[in-house]
Amino acid sequence: MLFLTHLFQFLFTQTWAWWAAGLGLGLTAVGLAWFTGKRLGVTGGFEDACSVMTKDSAFNPSPTNWKLWFILGLPLGGLLANLGHWSWTLLYGQLDAITFGNNFYKILWLLLSGFLIGFGARWAGGCTSGNTIMGVSIGSKMSLLATLAFLVAGVIVTNILFKVVF
Amino acid sequence: MAPRKTRLKAIKTAAPRKASKLAPAENPIPYLGFGILFGYFLSKSRATDYDSIEAMFLCREFQLYGVIIVSVAVVSLGLFLLRRSGNKAYSGQAVEMEPLTWDPSRLAGAFLFGAGWALAGTCPGTSLAQIGEGKLIAVATVVGIVAGVWAYKKFKPGIAPKNDAVC
Repeated sequence: MLFLTHLFQFLFTQTWAWWAAGLGLGLTAVGLAWFTGKRLGVTGGFEDACSVMTKDSAFNPSPTNWKLWFILGLPLGGLLANLGHWSWTLLYGQLDAITFGNNFYKILWLLLSGFLIGFGARWAGGCTSGNTIMGVSIGSKMSLLATLAFLVAGVIVTNILFKVVF
Repeated sequence: MAPRKTRLKAIKTAAPRKASKLAPAENPIPYLGFGILFGYFLSKSRATDYDSIEAMFLCREFQLYGVIIVSVAVVSLGLFLLRRSGNKAYSGQAVEMEPLTWDPSRLAGAFLFGAGWALAGTCPGTSLAQIGEGKLIAVATVVGIVAGVWAYKKFKPGIAPKNDAVC
């Protein structure tokens, strides 16, 4: 019984060590490549979403919108991983203090940062999944450079935010 | 009751599994399933946690660097084995793994992305997983990302690549 309790907590409550979670993410990407022949990427799913919502031919959706189906699974995965202690919240870690506990500021902050993420990822040709996990593994030089740029920008901005501003 | 072997044979030959109406490539369910797995592991890795992302960028925790390194290693090895075995997917399609087109202006986009990643404490995939986790404030991030992807197409910067494929 105790074993089952531990297993349940491991699967549906706890977070994992870096090697275990990395193994899972890697195997999922390999599984997608092996089962469907496709290259995993999340930004393409957002492009599909834009294409479906605006019906504008400027967007290039993936065949049969498979990328949109892929990203629709992500919230379900997040739910499953926290099934053991699920509850909804508007709290968001240290960002609560940065935005003075004001939800309006927090929403505005996330909308603007989200805009940077979407615009930048689309321009860079992919985000952390498409460029970092897949692109670097394929051996794409552009993806490796983009990944380094992601990290450099992230380190600079975070250090300014936490060591200079707050 | 018939002996075991005969019974097994009967199962194998009797009713061939009803073929899905959609061809494997068109059936959305496997893609949804892989999305669920990916979201599950993203959540397990703590990449959906604002404070973990900041701790990564402040170099206070190895966790998320470890996650990236292990996943890149696993995918590299997996794709190598896949190539060695003929580069054929289970669905019968060839495995499509073209590298991203070269264009230095993409680095400008990458810097914007990195800044957004740090400010929001999430990337596109994890923002969706966060909603499932119950962190409902992430809806704002997702709306922002959709707006950003839309705006890129509408107001494409002059220096942006002409052939701008996306993963």
